[in-house]
Amino acid sequence: MKILIAEDEAKTGNYLRQGLSEAGYVADLVSNGIDGLHQSMEGGYDLAILDVMLPGMDGWQVLKNLRASGSDIPVLFLTAKDHVEDRVKGLELGADDYLVKPFSFSELLARVRTILRRGRTGTEVTLLKVMDLELDLLRRRVSREGKRIDLTAKEFGLLELLMRRQGEVLPRSLIASQVWDMNFDSDTNVIEVAIRRLRAKIDDPFQHKLLQTVRGMGYVIEEPEVPA
Amino acid sequence: MIGRLSLTARIGVLFTLISASILLGLGGLISNSVERHFVDLDRAALQDKLHLIQEIGAESTDRADLARRLADVLHSHKDLAARIQLGRDVIYATPDAAALAMGDGVRDNSPVEDLIFWTRNGLSYRALEGEMVAPGAAPAPLSILVVLNTQHHARYMAIFQKTLVIYVLVATLLSGALGWLAAHSGLRPLRRMKTQAHSVNIKNLDQRMPVESVPVEMADLARTLNDMFQRLQIDFQRLTEFSSDLAHELRTPICNMLTETQVGLSQKRTVAQHEEILASNSEELQRLTRMVSDMLYLATTENGISLPNPEIVVLEDEVSALFDFYEALAEESRIALVWKGQGATRGDRLMIRRAISNLMSNALRHTSPGKSVEVSIETWGSGVTLHVSNEGTDIPTSSLPRLFDRFYRADSARAHPETGGAGLGLSITQAIMKAHGGKATVSSEAGKVRFSLHFTCEAI
Repeated sequence: MKILIAEDEAKTGNYLRQGLSEAGYVADLVSNGIDGLHQSMEGGYDLAILDVMLPGMDGWQVLKNLRASGSDIPVLFLTAKDHVEDRVKGLELGADDYLVKPFSFSELLARVRTILRRGRTGTEVTLLKVMDLELDLLRRRVSREGKRIDLTAKEFGLLELLMRRQGEVLPRSLIASQVWDMNFDSDTNVIEVAIRRLRAKIDDPFQHKLLQTVRGMGYVIEEPEVPA
Repeated sequence: MIGRLSLTARIGVLFTLISASILLGLGGLISNSVERHFVDLDRAALQDKLHLIQEIGAESTDRADLARRLADVLHSHKDLAARIQLGRDVIYATPDAAALAMGDGVRDNSPVEDLIFWTRNGLSYRALEGEMVAPGAAPAPLSILVVLNTQHHARYMAIFQKTLVIYVLVATLLSGALGWLAAHSGLRPLRRMKTQAHSVNIKNLDQRMPVESVPVEMADLARTLNDMFQRLQIDFQRLTEFSSDLAHELRTPICNMLTETQVGLSQKRTVAQHEEILASNSEELQRLTRMVSDMLYLATTENGISLPNPEIVVLEDEVSALFDFYEALAEESRIALVWKGQGATRGDRLMIRRAISNLMSNALRHTSPGKSVEVSIETWGSGVTLHVSNEGTDIPTSSLPRLFDRFYRADSARAHPETGGAGLGLSITQAIMKAHGGKATVSSEAGKVRFSLHFTCEAI
């Protein structure tokens, strides 16, 4: 998947490109609005990440021109200003998401994946699986090594989110927002406790630990790299 | 133009106008009554003479006798002229014929009923006409004309009026000057206040206006200004404390990261060690990020933004969602979450949820294991109040009002709480409540701390 980044702050731009490349995307960087518009119209990108304050032509302008020319490429805005009007303006112009600086990279990555996943329809999965851990969405059951594990509704929701996005590091804020609908910086302790309790049920009794903490980033469910 | 005129000049001009009109009126009144008095005197004198002539006529035996007697009586009166006629036939006339002749010509209109006035060649005359029985057997009564030259009165009036005008002018000017002086000295307290206000700056915001030594009318103004200074001083002090607190809050994570990074770079390290450093830095940076976004949120909320999505918010639904969220944390610390009451208000759901969330997170942090956090909703007259109370140690009364201040922590010893936010949660709650036209309050007694959110319905 190809992502275009339009960001005039060189350091931010380079790190974004590196981070997205390492996350498995093809990422290109431009440093002004005019190049941003040209590239995104011709380059066959799946997503454009636009800084609002760009030299030459600001992010709004780029988006307006894009939509006027009939392009429906998804756009994610980055901005240093957090004004409600800005957010509304961005979404009205047809932006797909909006992120206020400073943001954490894991948050950005999670949002990028959400946007890119949106387009794909695919068949609705009913069974999520990581190694021997299984989550049955229809019967709302979880089992590991064939043994049934009882989870509360919120624990189920948390595990479902982690397993749907297995291999992705999910930041705490995204978990709070997706599982509990807490769309603001809330007490992150709560997530830690919830993860600990979930871990006690799905990991602690078993040899291989699937639910990993990535320090300073968030949590991820995946197969351990070195199975002995 | 008038609006820009100084108060002193304005009062001075007004004073001058008032005294000028009073003095002019008074002058006119005096001059008028003096003139009236003169007219009365003249009439009395003329009537007196008329009667005298009539008496002489009654005593006279014939026309010659009458003329002689009249000449005897009248010749000593310099200002008086008289003429007695029978038809056109003059029986007697005083030598001052000019005055008498003029009386026959044009007569000026007479303001006083029977008196005749005229002015010729700079001389003013007043006259009376009358009749008398002719001496002897005459067919018709004789007509009498008595004329008085009132020149001396006119001269006196002219001088009197001139003096009056000069007096009025001088008195007006004098009272104007006095008025200016009075206004100037009357406004002295105001000028003193101005000087005082002029000297106030951020370094001496503790200065106050003198309330006791100024007149009653200005004491009120002085008191209002003092209140303003008081508020400014408190706000300014808070702002100063806030920026020093902010610097302090930023210093700790920055210092951690700097030390960690530099120590990390000072030697060759394994990849695992580098990872450890980066992860630790990332944690510090996340704390900083959260602080910055909280402050931005606070700034936008405090700037009186209009509510993004006003709607009916059912409070018990929000409480129940938040209980879901905090449930695990509460269970972990063996804290019971209790909820009672119902109510709804109008506002932004996300903001209200955040306000309640901050209170609950705060309450959970300060409740000892085995106790409970209770949320109760009360509907009253025109609004709804949501209380979040927990059993815990009492907060000293002195720190209660400051709890909603940014970065304020009642227990200052805990400078860097691992669990809590940056100390902005309660400020955010208060800002959200103010944006909703309500307010957040706190009380603490008998081991129970209670935060309350007061929503008023009609405010939004």
